[in-house]
This record gives sequence, structure tokens and C-alpha cells, in this order.
Amino acid sequence: MIKDITIGQYFPGKSFIHRLDARTKLILVLALLVIIFLCQNFFSLALIFVFSLFCVLLSRIPLKTMMKGLKAIVFVVILTAILQIFYNESGDILWQWRAVKITTGGVSMAIFIAVRIVCLIFISSLLTYTTSPTLLTDGIERLLKPLRLIHIEPHTLAMMMTIALRFIPTLIEEVDHIMSAQKARGADMETGNVIKRAKALIPILIPLFVNSFRRAYDLAYAMECRCYRGGDGRTRMRVMKFSWRDGVAFVISAALLAGVILLNHFFEAVL
Amino acid sequence: MKADSMIEIQNISYAYEGEEEGVKLAPVIRDFSLDIKRGEFLAILGHNGSGKSTLTRLCNAMAVPDSGKVFVEGMDTADPALEYDIREKVGVVMQNPDNQIVATIVEEDVAFGPENLGVEPAEIRRRVDDALKRVGMYEYRSQEPHKLSGGQKQRVAIAGVIAMRTDCIILDEPTAMLDPQGRQEVMKTIKELNRDMGITVVLITHYMDEAVQADRVAVMDEGRLVLLGTPQEVFSHRQELYRCGLDIPQSAKLTDRLRQMGIPLSGSILTPADFISAFRAYEEGRR
Repeated sequence: MIKDITIGQYFPGKSFIHRLDARTKLILVLALLVIIFLCQNFFSLALIFVFSLFCVLLSRIPLKTMMKGLKAIVFVVILTAILQIFYNESGDILWQWRAVKITTGGVSMAIFIAVRIVCLIFISSLLTYTTSPTLLTDGIERLLKPLRLIHIEPHTLAMMMTIALRFIPTLIEEVDHIMSAQKARGADMETGNVIKRAKALIPILIPLFVNSFRRAYDLAYAMECRCYRGGDGRTRMRVMKFSWRDGVAFVISAALLAGVILLNHFFEAVL
Repeated sequence: MKADSMIEIQNISYAYEGEEEGVKLAPVIRDFSLDIKRGEFLAILGHNGSGKSTLTRLCNAMAVPDSGKVFVEGMDTADPALEYDIREKVGVVMQNPDNQIVATIVEEDVAFGPENLGVEPAEIRRRVDDALKRVGMYEYRSQEPHKLSGGQKQRVAIAGVIAMRTDCIILDEPTAMLDPQGRQEVMKTIKELNRDMGITVVLITHYMDEAVQADRVAVMDEGRLVLLGTPQEVFSHRQELYRCGLDIPQSAKLTDRLRQMGIPLSGSILTPADFISAFRAYEEGRR
């Protein structure tokens, strides 16, 4: 089950989006998330939606993969849509039963919000799908450089993220091993109510924690042996460079922002 | 300091600190002296708890001896200012391959050491490619480490040390967690490093068959150096080895049995290859 999670996965490739600098992608994704929330009517939303689809096509990540990522939150989308249908009482009444009524306002609101969530997911998952974890953490490290002014070391944060990412598969494997070992000793993890099952997790978590500390100790030793001493004086193998692609991406995004603002201005707001 | 020595260990003793501050536990290294020569392949044998791993820590300035001195290429490990210069010379590969790989991509991990040393990016690239080719892992450079086998991970760890251009590499039971095939891969890589690149190799192990392949073997027991010499010399002291909780190589054992049964195999036999040629000679002689 844990292995099915696609969020945070990386699909290597050589598309335009893959080749963008990680910093560009981080900044633009944040900007796009804001732009998505700026949309006030269907025209600007349609623009954003088309743009998101365009990005997905450009990244050459199969739509099927994108849909898989959506599956995890399809419940959230439907729930919010339903709530909108019943709670929004503006516009003409389409259907009514006692106090419950469905209005045109409610329906359009539901569609609006569902589409918006899909756009948010597409854009944010594209970031991790097209950027290797190392480049992503490198990008974060460089973007957060100003934090040094308030004595927070971005290098430490980035190193922690790298190590966490590195050890996720190792720990998943370890959980598998421990579970098998405990099952072999007669542990029952599948039956019983919630509390019982939560209790059954304890014999898995304790060895997992103990082993993690041991691993941490070993890893720290290994890092010291390899002359690690924090970010100062450290160089990187991969050099990050902005290229013409990043310029193009920034210009397109700026145009998109202008488009959204104009469409918001000329057409009536749904919200 | 002798000109040809890589690591010079002079009469050291070392004890870990106990729970209470300032209180030392029983010493794990006692009165230990050893001169590791430049370019040699030295195997250190000892059963669990004989102080082998502590010796590693003392050789790369992760620990400082309570008494006595350790010099790495003439640098005193007790000098805090030289700590990183020493670690740049002496690389370490540990037992568990999973716990020493830092990055999420093979080549990034190999680059970790040189990056810490502040090497120029282009030069790091060169070193990483070279190191990965040396250990035969170049095709796997963009893989994720958790998708590799144990032997492959251990070779990546070795590449990580080579990329730092160390003069000496200490391997602390690098094959203990591997299957026979992984063990062979790692042993082959180690021998190539020593032969082709002239890197001093210190292999800590409890596999006799691995120790046989070294130039010299040192046997440790309870923190003391018990035996030191060529594999032939060391493995001829059978009683001494048994007393330290160690064994002799399988081929030597088989030879012993056969000799007891009255089959006079000649020469000193430590490896399967030795055994086969000795047995052939015996057969020829009978005919």
C-alpha cells in the first residue's frame, strides 16, 4: 500500500519542464498556486486549466500517471463539490425538497472548486514528477539562503530532507521485515477494532525506532569519516544555471498572470 | 617516522568512557603497536569484541588513544587541527552498506566526499566517473541506492572513498552482511584497488578465506596484537588461532585432515588453488 503513493515520486525525462532549473520550478509553482486562487470566474479558470493541461503535455508525463495522483484525493474533491451544491443558495432553484435545494449558483460553484483543486494538484505534482529529489533540495537550499540572516542554516534543512528522502525506502523495507518477524512470532495485526489494531503497531514501532537510532548513529559516523562538516566550504558536483528556458517560463507565467487579471476584470465573478 | 609507513601505531591503549563522566571502562585496545606500510594489503583478524572496530576509529582520528600515538603519514591523530586532513587520507567503509550511503542517487553519493573537501565541480564529475568505473558501477550511476544489491551498495561505498583520493582505505567487515556473490564482488574490487591504484588496504574481517588473500595478516585478541606476518606464517600457528576463537582457512583444514589420514600433501596450503595444485602433485607422484 505504501508503495502506491505517487506524490513525491520522480519520473526521469528530458522535456522542457524537466530541464528547467529547480529554483525556477519552485518559484513558479508557488506563483501558479497563488494565480490559481486569484481566478474569480470561469474564463480565467479555463485559462489556468488549459495552461495546466499544456504543462502536463509538455512534461510528457502520461495523463494516466497524473490521474493516479488524483485518485488519492478524488474523495476530497467530491466532498467539497457536494458541500458546495447544498450550501450555496444563490441563483435559480433547480430542484427543491423541503429545506434542501439545489441552485444554479451551487452547481457552478461546485464545478468551479473541483476544477480548481484539479489544477492545484496537477501543477504541484508536476514539480516533484519532473525534478530529481537532489535537485529539489538543492534548489530549496539556494532559495532559502536569505534565512542565514536570521541564523537558520538552509544547508542543514536541505541535508535533513535529503537524508529523509534517502531513508524512506530503507525504512519501508524495514517495516516489512519487522512485520514479518512479528507475524512469525504470532502477532495479529489484521483483526480487531481500531484500538486493538493500533496497539498491535507498538511491537512494530519500537524496533523500528531503535533501529533508526542505530542507523542515525552509523550514518553520522560515516558522514564524519567522509569529512562532512556542514555547508561551509562545501562544493557541489551539479552546478545550477539559469538558461533561456527559465526566462521563457517566467515570461509565460507573467503573461498568464496578466491574462487572469484581465479576465477577472472584464467578466463577472462567480465567487 | 619511517618513510614507507602509511599508519604508524605506537603502543596505544584505549578505553571507552562509561556512563559516568570521566570513568573509563575496561580498555579495548591494550599496548598495541603496528606499522601499516604504504601500498600493502593488510588483513586484521579477530573475533567479535577483540577491538578491531575501535582500531579503525583510532586510525582516522575519530578517537584519540589514551596513551601512545597514532601517526597517519606523519600526522598525529591527537592534533585536532589535523582531524580532517587525516580523514582525507584514510577512508573507511563500514559493515552495513545501507547506513553509509547518504544521497538518493548513486553518483551523488560518490560525490559526497569530494563535495565536503571543496573540490571544483568539474573535477568532482571526473573523480566520480572514474571511481564508479573502477568499481564497475558506472552503468548504475543514476540509480537509486535502495534498488541495488548488497555487494553493489558496498562497491558504491568504496567508490565514495576512492573519489576522495585517499591513500589508505580501511574496510570494517565489508562483506559480513553480503551473500557469497556480493562477497566475491567486493573482494575482487578491493584487490584491484590495491594492485592497480596502489592504495593501502586494511581489511578487517573474520573470514579466514579473505585474510589469506592479503600480503600480511594481523591477529587481534582482547585488544592486543597476537600474531603478525604473512598468511603462511600466521596460519601455521594453529593453536594460537584457535585460542583466539579463530579458525584456519577451509583448504588448510582439509589439508590437515588429509595429512592426519596419511596423505602427505606438500607445501603450505591456504587457498583452494594451493590445495588443487598440491593434490595434483601428490597424484602425479603416486602414478
